[in-house]
Amino acid sequence: MNQRGQALTETILLGLVLLVPLIWTLGVLADIHRTALAVTSAAHDASVAAAAASDPIAARSAIDDAVERALDSHRLDPRVARVSSDIDPRLRRGSALAIEVRVPVTVLQAPLIGRVSGPSIWVEARRVVRVPLYGSRG
Amino acid sequence: MLKHSDRGSSTVESTFAIVFLLLLVLGTIEVAFALYARNVVMASAHEGARAALELGTDRQTAAAVARRTVIRSAGGLVRDLDVKVRSNEVGRLRSVRVAVTGRLAPFGPVPIPIPLSASADAVQQVPRG
Repeated sequence: MNQRGQALTETILLGLVLLVPLIWTLGVLADIHRTALAVTSAAHDASVAAAAASDPIAARSAIDDAVERALDSHRLDPRVARVSSDIDPRLRRGSALAIEVRVPVTVLQAPLIGRVSGPSIWVEARRVVRVPLYGSRG
Repeated sequence: MLKHSDRGSSTVESTFAIVFLLLLVLGTIEVAFALYARNVVMASAHEGARAALELGTDRQTAAAVARRTVIRSAGGLVRDLDVKVRSNEVGRLRSVRVAVTGRLAPFGPVPIPIPLSASADAVQQVPRG
């Protein structure tokens, strides 16, 4: 039997089989990196905005706005984010204010289709600040 | 045992295979760098907008912060870097928009200078008094 070219064909096939998961892994890792940058920015921006708000209701609104803007800047859908905050009921000066932002990264995604199904990796960031003791708010 | 006519064919095939695999590996590295550079450009646009508001600095400083973030994080990976800053103040709302554009430094088996662009907004409520 003529075996000419068989090694080359096998190598190319094996290369493609190895390449597809490798590129896919790279895509997921890049998404995780982007999401990590985005949630860190979102938590930071939200905490700064909330600390400068005049009351807890304004603070919650400022948090939502800041998170939406930060995720939008990183081309992420703000609707999938889960934001939780721990705010003093009266937003007293010097009180601690904690913001936590979580965004899922879908592991199984197809080109042009997006999310297929399957598990997600949750990327989260948490930031705690104090409401400034001095300075005008709201 | 190899026939007379098959002499050297395995060497040639191995050479082709190695070149092919090398191209695959270099291509994969290029994709990884492109994705990383895209993330850095997006983050630096946001960083510039945030710096402009939090530090209360002018547009030149915001552009310098965004530019410095790209250079420090991506080194020579991003070329033809251009940063545009637009600020606006309506009533008590101050907003800054930073747009960063650049090109991925061409290297690897497909040396195409992939364009990179990102923009970010930051809004701050100006305190009373």
